[in-house]
Amino acid sequence: MGKVLMKGNEVIAESAVHAGCKYFFGYPITPQSELVAYMARRLPEVGGLFLQAESEIAAINMVYGASSTGARVMTSSSSPGFSLKQEGISYLVGSELPAVICNIVRGGPGLGNIQPAQSDYFQVTKGGGHGDYHIPVLAPASLQEIVELIQDAFDIADRYRNPVIIMGDGMLGQMMEPVEFTERPVSELPEKNWAATGTRGDGGPKIITSLELDADGLEKRNQHLQKKFAEMKEKEVRYETYKTEDADYIIVAFGTVARIAMNAMNKARQDGVKVGLIRPISLWPFPEKPFIETRDKVNMYISVEMSAGQMVEDVRLAVNGHAPVDFFGRNGGVVPTQEEIYHKIMMIAGGIQV
Amino acid sequence: MATFKEFRNDVKPNWCPGCGDFSVQAAIQRAAANVGLEPEELAIISGIGCSGRISGYINSYGFHGIHGRSLPIAQGVKMANRDLTVIAAGGDGDGFAIGMGHTVHAIRRNMNITYIVMDNQIYGLTKGQTSPRSAAGFKTKSTPLGSIEQAISPMELALTVGATFIAQGFSTDLKELTSLIEEGIKHEGFSFINVYSPCVTYNKVNTYDWYKENLTKLSDVEGYDHSNRDMAMQTLMKYNGLVTGLVYQNKGKQSYQQLLQGYSEIPLTQVEINLNENHFNKLVKEFM
Repeated sequence: MGKVLMKGNEVIAESAVHAGCKYFFGYPITPQSELVAYMARRLPEVGGLFLQAESEIAAINMVYGASSTGARVMTSSSSPGFSLKQEGISYLVGSELPAVICNIVRGGPGLGNIQPAQSDYFQVTKGGGHGDYHIPVLAPASLQEIVELIQDAFDIADRYRNPVIIMGDGMLGQMMEPVEFTERPVSELPEKNWAATGTRGDGGPKIITSLELDADGLEKRNQHLQKKFAEMKEKEVRYETYKTEDADYIIVAFGTVARIAMNAMNKARQDGVKVGLIRPISLWPFPEKPFIETRDKVNMYISVEMSAGQMVEDVRLAVNGHAPVDFFGRNGGVVPTQEEIYHKIMMIAGGIQV
Repeated sequence: MATFKEFRNDVKPNWCPGCGDFSVQAAIQRAAANVGLEPEELAIISGIGCSGRISGYINSYGFHGIHGRSLPIAQGVKMANRDLTVIAAGGDGDGFAIGMGHTVHAIRRNMNITYIVMDNQIYGLTKGQTSPRSAAGFKTKSTPLGSIEQAISPMELALTVGATFIAQGFSTDLKELTSLIEEGIKHEGFSFINVYSPCVTYNKVNTYDWYKENLTKLSDVEGYDHSNRDMAMQTLMKYNGLVTGLVYQNKGKQSYQQLLQGYSEIPLTQVEINLNENHFNKLVKEFM
């Protein structure tokens, strides 16, 4: 299959279909409604089912139910709708059920607007729902990367029996780029022997619950979950670095912002300032290694985000005091420009006096 | 006394030309003036959707809330400041999908507020998906093969959960709609007004012409008695809910505010919170 020109939201949907997702429960919200519309049209073609729920709460609970039968299932939303899913997400983790949940982030807080933002970083990486839990969060920067990461997301979810979040911004959802849907071998995954398949002789009744009234029992259950999170931290870290080997300054940016930052980086390099870029792809687990490798050599890190400064906290933890960490961001739906980021770099590097 | 012009502001609605919501906006402004309200005595609490913008288009207190949650917010406003005339407003998706739980409970709670739904039988703001008011077979972006779900009947539903005032209007009949909103505001208890407010951009089935062809005025139904609940239910079933006018009113039931024991006559927002010496000593004594 050759390249096709598609919209980001549609690529997410088609990639999920390629990953074997058969069930989608959603609710309209801008800027991800195209995803819902695509699934409504596409899933019946592959023998799947699309359902427009009465709310995001209903949708995530339909996901909760469908997942318990062992199906590959997905829901998506944008910031305000994603907030409504938090309860269900916490229960999915507590009940150890896989699912993929997509958040096409828009400007907040509250109703905010429908322009692109990354201001749900805290929410997706630090919890959002209640209890001690983590969720792997993957943040694609291009439509082609979506194709890869959605398939990974379903595999990670099944491997660890844990929900996985895809975080994009409104720009990623709305932009069009040529993509190629590559067929890849089915990953080796544990058998879903916990699922309610309705097959006789598969080991008796199975109970899905996140309740454990006994404190020692719940602590044990939590220890089991923590063991899974520790394994994810070890095996599911994804990132890319660009020109960090000789860099005096390193920009840290994810998603579409990383692409804008890359242009700013190249322009600064043309002007003789050695700038590198670290692009976290997994926002949780956050990539610490590229910071450990560079933090004693660089003058400064600059976290560039479409928020008032959220990932910068994880950058500081990873740098752990070895180098200064600065921040540049626009928020409320404003996308930082290449010139702004370039200006910030040059100001720090002493090239521009203000 | 304020005229309806004083309920206008200079914000230009972002509704499409021809949207039914313009009439609802005008009807609220006229009704507010006709019942003798001043702008500072009215609060419009809206949900999210095209219709939800209405709270910004009327010169009164405005509260643009959360999708599906206009009613809990409106109840909070009314409880804390009972002197305000509170109108909650939103679309059919807002009130009958995500907010349906709140709608049912607000109706049966019978708090003294008015709820206006701008019912266009589709999701407009997100560019055309099925709503709980879309008919079976209705094709949208989210139901490309046609909806296979049963549409909600708002009036019948409200009757079964103990509504004390229910009415239906149509955007082209501004006179009737204004009068229904007036009666709703004056009603002691929860008044629910569903307005057929066509979406000219995304709903090509339930158009102005379609409603004109299919709606029956209750004033044209011989012997219709809006105080008779059985008759209301039977008439709604007979006309498949496609009626306009005052469907049912029960003046004999007390509102939530009337039943609430010890509820301050003075709005909570204006209650004196000073503590005199006697009162203070009495309180301290309880802990000695």
